[in-house]
Amino acid sequence: MQTLEIISVNLWQILISLANLLLIFLILKKFLFKPVQKMLDKRQGEVDAQYASAQQAAADAAADKALWAEKLQGADDEADARLKAADTTARAHGDRIVADAKTRAEEILRRAEADAALEKTKAEAAIKEEIVVVSTELAQKMLEREVNAADHKQLIDAFLGEIGGADE
Amino acid sequence: MNKKSRFVAVDILLLAGAILPLVACMVLKILTAPPTEGIEITGALIYFTLPTPLQPLPITEAQVNSVAVVIAILFICLYFTHGLTVRPHLKRQVIAEWIVEKCKNMVHTNMGERFMGFAPFIAAIMGLSALSSLLSLLGLFPPTSDMNIVAGWAILVFTLITFYKFKAGPIQYLKSYAEPVPFLAPMNIISEIATPVSMAFRHYGNILSGSIISVLIAAALGGLSNLVLGWLPGILGEFPFLRIGIPAVLSLYFDIFSGLLQAFIFATLTMMYISGGYPAEAVAKRLARREAKKQAKTAKQAEK
Repeated sequence: MQTLEIISVNLWQILISLANLLLIFLILKKFLFKPVQKMLDKRQGEVDAQYASAQQAAADAAADKALWAEKLQGADDEADARLKAADTTARAHGDRIVADAKTRAEEILRRAEADAALEKTKAEAAIKEEIVVVSTELAQKMLEREVNAADHKQLIDAFLGEIGGADE
Repeated sequence: MNKKSRFVAVDILLLAGAILPLVACMVLKILTAPPTEGIEITGALIYFTLPTPLQPLPITEAQVNSVAVVIAILFICLYFTHGLTVRPHLKRQVIAEWIVEKCKNMVHTNMGERFMGFAPFIAAIMGLSALSSLLSLLGLFPPTSDMNIVAGWAILVFTLITFYKFKAGPIQYLKSYAEPVPFLAPMNIISEIATPVSMAFRHYGNILSGSIISVLIAAALGGLSNLVLGWLPGILGEFPFLRIGIPAVLSLYFDIFSGLLQAFIFATLTMMYISGGYPAEAVAKRLARREAKKQAKTAKQAEK
């Protein structure tokens, strides 16, 4: 079988080889670069989307955080205000209760005093009566005679009035 | 499960498509190669000759092998891109992406943004050249050691260089030969023509010289073995022991390293020549001029 010379130029072979290179170029472009590039782009898109969503999530979280911090601050203020209000109402309530208690105590005291005074006057009256009776009996026994009761009473009354006046 | 087995079946088909053409070439070579005696350095085997106009076209080993390489590359591409997913789980996808990214990076750094479309072309040059040279590992005739094959690529590259130089307009193109001084024009023309010639000869010469040196060394080792160990009795004396091992190490350099290096050099030179010859400023000026003319025209029409 024949062989080619080591250095031989053939126009057709050159053209065929040129066409082969072009063919390989097209093959690589269509069957390797295009699908791989498509996949890379797709992945890039996915990664971008992930990053975007992550950023969105971070932004949302930050916004939430700010919101909650604000709300927390508001809650603190509100709690303070409520505590203060509760304090004031409680204090007012307490004051009122104390005042009530005071007035009631005063009332009781006053009534007691009044009762005591009434008792006193009653007792005075009873004692007077007693004294009147006792002295009348004493006088009857001492004098041993009929004394006009009316006169007698008048006399003792005057006398006791004198004592009462001295007592007071 | 059915889906998976179908996937594997397609994989096997694609791999077979990539390997079978090369195996067929080997079988063809074994069946047709004449027995060689001693040192013989010849070009590619001619299988048959087609009567084409201008010049008869001999269909040689180089032709058949390069077609086999084209088919193999087609199926390798199909195999690599079979089962691409957004989240890669196949090793081959990682490799495919690595190749694509590497080529694009290389084109971007060497040629710039304007020539990004060249990435597949550069990959094609590298793949075709490297695989063609590596065919010698299979005992096949590497198509790159046939000058016509490499010359075809160089001429295509030259066409591209000229095409991009022409973008600044024919006058600008002719003017570029008279730079920096007009009387250097012949030198410029020679250097312009020398570009594809030197590219073709560099590649072809490197691969061919590798084969020649391998053959010479193998022959020399045979002779040396005969000389040194010839005293051994019987068949031991005839057996070329020194041929064991040493040619393999040389093959590592001449077949693998040199082949890959030449592919890389050819691709790099292509990028350099195309982007280096592109007169970016002149093209920009020309486009600006055209735009101005267009605007003037529309302004005139508006006046009318």
